[in-house]
Amino acid sequence: MMNPGSWIVRSPLRRPALAVAAVSLLAGCGRNEVKVYRVEKDHDAAPPMQQQAEMAAGHPDVGSPAKPQLSWTLPGGWEQQAPGEMRAASFSIKGKDGKQADVSVIPLGGDAGGDFANVNRWRGQVAQQPISPEELAKLAESVHVGSDPADLYDVSGQNPSSGDATRILATILHRDGTAWFFKMTGDDALVEQQKPAFIEFLKSVRFQAADTAALPPSHPPIDGMTLSPGMAGDTASSAEHPGWQVPAGWRQAPAGQFLMAKFIVGGEGGAQAAVNVSNSAGDGGGLAANVNRWRKQLGLGEMSDQDVNQSATPADIPGGNAMFVDLTGKDARTGQSARLVGAIVPQGGQTWFYKLMGDAKVVEAQKSAFTQFVQTVKY
Amino acid sequence: MFLDRLTKVFTSLKLTVVCLTLAMLLVFFGTLAQVDLGLYKAQNEFFRSFLIYWGPKGADWKIPVFPGGYLIGGLLLINLIAAHYSRFGFRKDKFGIIITHLGLILLLMGQLATDMLSTESSLHLRNGETKNYSESDRLTELAVIGKVDPRTDQVVAIPDSRLAGGSVIRTPELPFAVRVKHFYRNSLLVAQPTAGFEKSGATQGAGPDVWIREEPRTTKMDERDTPSALVELVADGKSLGSWLVSTRLAAPQTVTFNGRAYDLILRLRRYYIPFNLQLLEFKHDIYAGTDIPKNFSSQVRVLNPATGEDREVKIKMNTPLRYGGLTFYQASFDQDDRGSILEVVRNPSWVTPYLACLLVGVGLGVQFLSHLVPFVKRRLTT
Repeated sequence: MMNPGSWIVRSPLRRPALAVAAVSLLAGCGRNEVKVYRVEKDHDAAPPMQQQAEMAAGHPDVGSPAKPQLSWTLPGGWEQQAPGEMRAASFSIKGKDGKQADVSVIPLGGDAGGDFANVNRWRGQVAQQPISPEELAKLAESVHVGSDPADLYDVSGQNPSSGDATRILATILHRDGTAWFFKMTGDDALVEQQKPAFIEFLKSVRFQAADTAALPPSHPPIDGMTLSPGMAGDTASSAEHPGWQVPAGWRQAPAGQFLMAKFIVGGEGGAQAAVNVSNSAGDGGGLAANVNRWRKQLGLGEMSDQDVNQSATPADIPGGNAMFVDLTGKDARTGQSARLVGAIVPQGGQTWFYKLMGDAKVVEAQKSAFTQFVQTVKY
Repeated sequence: MFLDRLTKVFTSLKLTVVCLTLAMLLVFFGTLAQVDLGLYKAQNEFFRSFLIYWGPKGADWKIPVFPGGYLIGGLLLINLIAAHYSRFGFRKDKFGIIITHLGLILLLMGQLATDMLSTESSLHLRNGETKNYSESDRLTELAVIGKVDPRTDQVVAIPDSRLAGGSVIRTPELPFAVRVKHFYRNSLLVAQPTAGFEKSGATQGAGPDVWIREEPRTTKMDERDTPSALVELVADGKSLGSWLVSTRLAAPQTVTFNGRAYDLILRLRRYYIPFNLQLLEFKHDIYAGTDIPKNFSSQVRVLNPATGEDREVKIKMNTPLRYGGLTFYQASFDQDDRGSILEVVRNPSWVTPYLACLLVGVGLGVQFLSHLVPFVKRRLTT
């Protein structure tokens, strides 16, 4: 085939129109044609929407599934059914007088239309009028699917074809690009009676993700970088971090690669604060640099070393000498008012950073728990 | 006479000014249009077109209202070449200008070639994973995968552009024809009878228990369409059944014909590369003690069976890997920091902007020197 680039360079001044036509024709080739090729099976097995973790040649089989697998605690009276083509899990519940309810778990790629469209779809299934987005927010009940927060919708009405009183309990969990539909549908009274069991079932759900692929065990460390304890693998792993007691109400969240741990604390009206724990070799840049870094996160100006030293509160704790700071400003990323309580603890050639930051009311409510948390860490 | 007038129009400096003004307006309105149309559609309608069409909402007719990118670019190119012929010719004292204009022509032609010939796709790798293909971010294909032997598959990949309703695809590699009964550009599937959804119409595979609804195409940057198709396989004039394929159905569906199994799957379009890339580790460096990103990098291993190459490369922001006519950029990563997304660009004319800039630079230098040298000589002799 003619190389368009060389042709253009050779005679660009003579037949420009022809050159444009030639490029256009070449571009047309191949893009809309049926292609036939042979590939090694290993490289063609992954489904497109849920990436399968393919292992390197020679890598031990870690048994990673093609899509996330679920586990759960089966509530009493529920009978597990064969899942079927679209369902990841399926259950049936038998009530009195032959009444029945069906529970399904269906993963769909993307956002699957979102809550609003789906809730109105469910309402249609029980002969109810569609609702507005404002009404939707009022209907949502907060539940947890595993440790992830989700909204539960409770819709009741009549089966349009049989006229039977029917109720639907459903929630959609958006996770890793997949919308997981958990839905109970069936006789109105039976579903209402099973609602607590359904909520407990949602709480018990665990995802065994397909992302268990890690470096092969024999792989050497990259760049010779010394990883701090807990940084090498799953940062939330309890075996790697120092001993601590997590205060009640703190929810462990996935930590970034260089965070030792992360916790989310909720308050009223959806307000939140986050606790980040990280460590660094040596002094980690020193007190002033780190306090000024935190000040920057709150949109506050830099302070001199002397001012930082004066503003920080020293505290003797079992793990060493800690310096506490308490700052109020506006979150530089969201622009919303925020408060930060931080602690810097030099310990065994490393420096540990603890940061509680978020909504001012939540931080105020959690400050004593945070202080106690920092004080009770066993290194 | 007519030819003279035509030449006058095409060599006119006024045409240059008009084209440049139209180009500025095009960029302005094309940028605004992205709000409603999304990036991809706006690019196609404004920049990758000869004319921009407009029609009232709901009407089935449209009229051209503005020149598109190809027309303006093409006119500029013709104008540049024509003006060059008529004004400068190939005089020795204008050698620098000739080279400069050659550079500009190359720049315009190179951009056209890039637009037409380049492909962009994504390569998503988890730590430890090896792949020899990348996937389109937007285009899809119906793959009919036949097993040749336990290690090898034969793939017949039908691009979504051929999946219009009513079309029939026959290839010698398949013992049956694929008849597309319906193609949904964007769709939503449910697993039970639902108001507003129609039964998929499939008689085989996962489809009989699925209800489907066509959705408006998305224009949002962070969403993509999820197409579906109802396809019928026909052999010797007899129907083997109908299957619903969809990017929402993750697993392939198996069809057995004459004792041989074929997998049917609608998936993101794949671009195979003649070597393997393995992600050894993705690193998301942050400044110590903070959440502030410092660097994103992917340590990858290039395994090329054809050359016996087996080496490690670090792909970082602004430091892509150029290999095998492809460029791999660090584009994104997984939420858990254990997977990396590389943007794979195949652009056969990637060198043209560099060459064009070099030519323009050299041309300007030559032109400058061609005036400076005689001037200095005159000064020295007087």
